[in-house]
Amino acid sequence: MLIMKLALRNLFRNTRRTILTVLLIGCSLSALILTDAVLLGMVDVMIESLTKTLSGEAQVHRQGFTDNYDIDLYMPESASIESTLENDPSVAAYASRVISGGMISSSYNVGAGLIYGVDADQERHLSKLAAAIIRGHYLQDSNDILIGEPMAELLEIKLGDRVVITQAEANTGELSQALFRVAGIFKFGVRELDSNIVFIHISQARKILGISQGSHEIAILFHDVSSADLDPTGLLSSLTNDTTEALGWRALNKDIAAMLEMSNYSSLIVGAILFFLASLGVINSMFMSIYERIYEFGVAKAIGTRPFDLFRLIMVEALFLALLSCIFGVLVGALLGEWYATNGIPLGEMEISGIAMNNNIPTVLAWHQFTNFPAYVILLVLTAALYPARFAANIIPTDALHRSL
Amino acid sequence: MTNAVIKTMEVCRYFGEGETLVKAVEQVSITIEPGEFTAIIGPSGSGKSTLLHLVGGLDNPTSGVVELSGTNIANMSGAQISDFRRDHIGFVFQAYNLIPVLSAEENIEYIMLLQGIAGPARRQRVQEMLELVGLNDLGSRRPNQLSGGQQQRVAVARAMASHPDIILADEPTANLDSKTGIALLDVMKDLNETHNMTFVFSTHDEKIMSRASRLIHMEDGAVVHDERR
Ligand SMILES: Nc1ncnc2c1ncn2[C@@H]1O[C@H](COP(=O)(O)OP(=O)(O)O)[C@@H](O)[C@H]1O
Ligand SMILES: [Mg+2]
Repeated sequence: MLIMKLALRNLFRNTRRTILTVLLIGCSLSALILTDAVLLGMVDVMIESLTKTLSGEAQVHRQGFTDNYDIDLYMPESASIESTLENDPSVAAYASRVISGGMISSSYNVGAGLIYGVDADQERHLSKLAAAIIRGHYLQDSNDILIGEPMAELLEIKLGDRVVITQAEANTGELSQALFRVAGIFKFGVRELDSNIVFIHISQARKILGISQGSHEIAILFHDVSSADLDPTGLLSSLTNDTTEALGWRALNKDIAAMLEMSNYSSLIVGAILFFLASLGVINSMFMSIYERIYEFGVAKAIGTRPFDLFRLIMVEALFLALLSCIFGVLVGALLGEWYATNGIPLGEMEISGIAMNNNIPTVLAWHQFTNFPAYVILLVLTAALYPARFAANIIPTDALHRSL
Repeated sequence: MTNAVIKTMEVCRYFGEGETLVKAVEQVSITIEPGEFTAIIGPSGSGKSTLLHLVGGLDNPTSGVVELSGTNIANMSGAQISDFRRDHIGFVFQAYNLIPVLSAEENIEYIMLLQGIAGPARRQRVQEMLELVGLNDLGSRRPNQLSGGQQQRVAVARAMASHPDIILADEPTANLDSKTGIALLDVMKDLNETHNMTFVFSTHDEKIMSRASRLIHMEDGAVVHDERR
């Protein structure tokens, strides 16, 4: 394979230029890999923060409940749904909740919020509630209540203080009151949750609402988050019928899901910009190497090299250039990506669309970064080389022989 | 004679137009017979290179006809003329004839690869050609490890390797000192005598032209004198 030999040796005639070009393309590739890895990492952190904090990866409700949290729309048969979940191997945890709006009053002040009646054991496995307690303890005694830090400040209460919850009963709408003792103060780090929600035992919540069984919501965590995506044969579909509806986190948070979809385009845009610049570099370096060899190509054509042979030679040179760049780019991308996957990229603390992001985003490496991206690079370099290769193929021997003598 | 290697009939090659018109080759009719050892001589700018390019199928005449081995090359397509040159004409230029990243052997092999000659036959012929030009031991050297004279010999060996009808050499000795130039010409003369290879070369060096058996004098693009000796 003389053409391979020729192409490789030609590539290293000007080692410095080749190395610079390889660095340019390779770094673009590793930058793209890292960008994508950071975005995937952010998406993962956001999904995790969104689903693991409180809401779960999927939720079952009575049809219409989520429209305006009507307390009458509870699921009386929630126990049977729970036993379905209990027996499903894809389910890692679930938690039944009674949810209603109400007033929380201390001796000093009054606040409005959502009262979550939760099963203390189930909730421990499903949400971050137990871990979010910053003072006091988790739900124990029957009249324990957990209150978010901002709400506690508003009500000017401390641990052990008493609060009264006032709300309407289900079905009758009559007002009902109950006394609770502040057992713990929690902080999820998400303002919307911390200032609006209080937690009590589910049995207490049922009592206040005047219902004997059932719940408004069952939150679910899966072993594999992809089980929460719509799947016509999956668990969620089987739980959806005329009265109940089971939705994954994407369907429950349409705007956030849409935003996450958008992040795919970010990679695309970054890639397009990087590769546009890199391809200019490729064209430039290929042309420089061709201009230096015009006389040589003139001789080669004079002695019978066909235009297509020269075209192919330049394309093979470009292919080698692309392969070298990919090896370099993939290695750097993998090494940096791996390092940041374990150590995380410090992006500072932030809250995006009501989702708390902790300050270290671990990058997420994925196969497409090491298969598709290098394939794009090779395709791009070959495309960029078309023009120089055509130029080389069209060199007219007599002109070339005149020019350099 | 129909078996002429080259036959030109009233060939003209003009460059530019109007005020800047250059008649590089003007009404040249020559015939080169097989086995001739011809020198085209004349001052710089007299049209030697242009004529060699025309008869080598590298350039098209403004008017007139060029026949190579009985074939009119005017109507050939790009790839056809390319293959025709590969199979029928050997070229040696003034300098930098060789592909710098290939060894002497590989440079000679290159043209046979273009011809599609099989590996073993190719390699055997490479050694024969190196022997012909007296470079048996230097085959593995790259051009930059060879002297100017050695590089020109490799170019001659490459031209020979493709079994051409004729070898055209445009000032092959111009970049060499006179002793090396004469030695190169002796190699060419030897190939002419022992292998009956037809050569046409250009020069303006008296010592070099004295080796030729035919001298074609050019002036301002026209042949002013054509003598066989
Ligand atoms: N491609 C070209 N364009 C314009 N003029 C040319 C070209 N090639 C040759 N000429 C002109 O034609 C004349 C003959 O040139 P050339 O054949 O190179 O002469 P020689 O080889 O005898 O020195 C010169 O005047 C030269 O300037
Ligand atoms: Mg000349």
